[in-house]
Amino acid sequence: MKLGYYPGCSLKGSSFEYEVSLLEMLKVLGMGIKEIPDWNCCGASTAHSINHNLAIALPARNLAIAEKEGYDSIVAPCAACSNRLKTARHELKTDEALRKKIVNSLEMPYGAGMEVNNMLEFLINVAGKDRIKSKVKKQLKNLKVASYYGCLLVRPPKIMRFDDSEEPVTMDELVALTGAQPVDYSYKTECCGAINSLSKPDVVMALTGKVLYDIKNHGADAVVVACPLCHSNLDVRQREIERKYAEKIGLPVLFITELIGLSFGISPKALAIDGHMVAADKVLKKINEGQ
Amino acid sequence: MKTTINEHERRDFVSGVESMLHDKLSNCYQCGKCSAGCPVNFEMDYTPNQIIKMTELGMADTVLNSKTIWLCVSCITCSTRCPKGFEVTGIMDVLREIAVKKGINSKAEREVQLFHKIFLENIKSNGRISEFELVRKYNLKTKHLFKDMFLAPKMLEKGKLKIHGVKISNLNRIAKIFKDFE
Repeated sequence: MKLGYYPGCSLKGSSFEYEVSLLEMLKVLGMGIKEIPDWNCCGASTAHSINHNLAIALPARNLAIAEKEGYDSIVAPCAACSNRLKTARHELKTDEALRKKIVNSLEMPYGAGMEVNNMLEFLINVAGKDRIKSKVKKQLKNLKVASYYGCLLVRPPKIMRFDDSEEPVTMDELVALTGAQPVDYSYKTECCGAINSLSKPDVVMALTGKVLYDIKNHGADAVVVACPLCHSNLDVRQREIERKYAEKIGLPVLFITELIGLSFGISPKALAIDGHMVAADKVLKKINEGQ
Repeated sequence: MKTTINEHERRDFVSGVESMLHDKLSNCYQCGKCSAGCPVNFEMDYTPNQIIKMTELGMADTVLNSKTIWLCVSCITCSTRCPKGFEVTGIMDVLREIAVKKGINSKAEREVQLFHKIFLENIKSNGRISEFELVRKYNLKTKHLFKDMFLAPKMLEKGKLKIHGVKISNLNRIAKIFKDFE
């Protein structure tokens, strides 16, 4: 199986831990992925906010290159990137006039065939739960983990066609595979404020704070995410949120690939867990105590 | 508030919005489900269902200058829950796009609009986002020179902040995409 990989800008920058842990996890799973050559930014949440056609054309270039490379499918670990790639594919499948216009501009054919998978779809549908389970060496017993899905993994359901848009369970299922206990709470799909992190930090801290305090009140030891933007708001802004609301949170935020990697017995260092702003020491200690 | 609306202008505005939206404004029956679930409703000057109604009434100036369109973070909760399947998130995209095309600069939410502009410029010149350059330019333009600066040393130490961004090889193609669609 030839798998294409669309990293997106965050995985090469502020969320490098996500890429490092993904590649380490895939080594154990015995799966290879190939980065789409000369990929460009998908336009993220900005392009569609102010220019619809640009928001389809930017991801379309990546999709056309991927199609030329002949991959069976693409994995886009960033929830926003996967959402934009899927949306572009969907629109170009249904809007023939726009497809022609974009194909002309790109001077490349694009048939809108190849599937794009987000991280959860990739783990469940491509890697498969059985394969993941067979590689678990270290049961993460004692560890209570809250899965935070955010917006773009599950919405809009008519394009994402994956899991339930109000009460998703797939990440919780993956957590359970590692031996950790999934924690139920109220704000699994509530928005963290996403793209407005720089321009409306107070709003973002209010939204992210609501999610983090709810997770904490439900007794979780850690949060697990599959989106660099969610990670950035929950991890990088956590100290500020604690100061703003004068209440300690102290919740390490892990990527799902890191949690799975830990259960495979990969060292925290190799998974770049020390790259997070909120130290995961307590979580790692708890894992070791459970062995 | 006194609003006088010319019927021709109203129709032009409504048909312009509807053709970009691929949806009919009259599909909305004002139940308010979108506004109830909106995570940023507490900051908005008009709720999403009010924006839809005002658009249908042709109140172009009011909706295009509203805080609401720039506060919407496109979380898609509204469209997902809409019992009529109306493109509530979509209308925010459409109104922002019309506002930008008309050269309207938001007064109340200037920084959100500016962020989007700088973000696209960053893609245009590099093909990818250089986060460092994005934050630096944003802080310069908004005159918040030290905003988030206390995060910078730790982010650098952790390897989260890459000073040198990467440019893609085929920047000509990116220029062409912007020329054709911007």
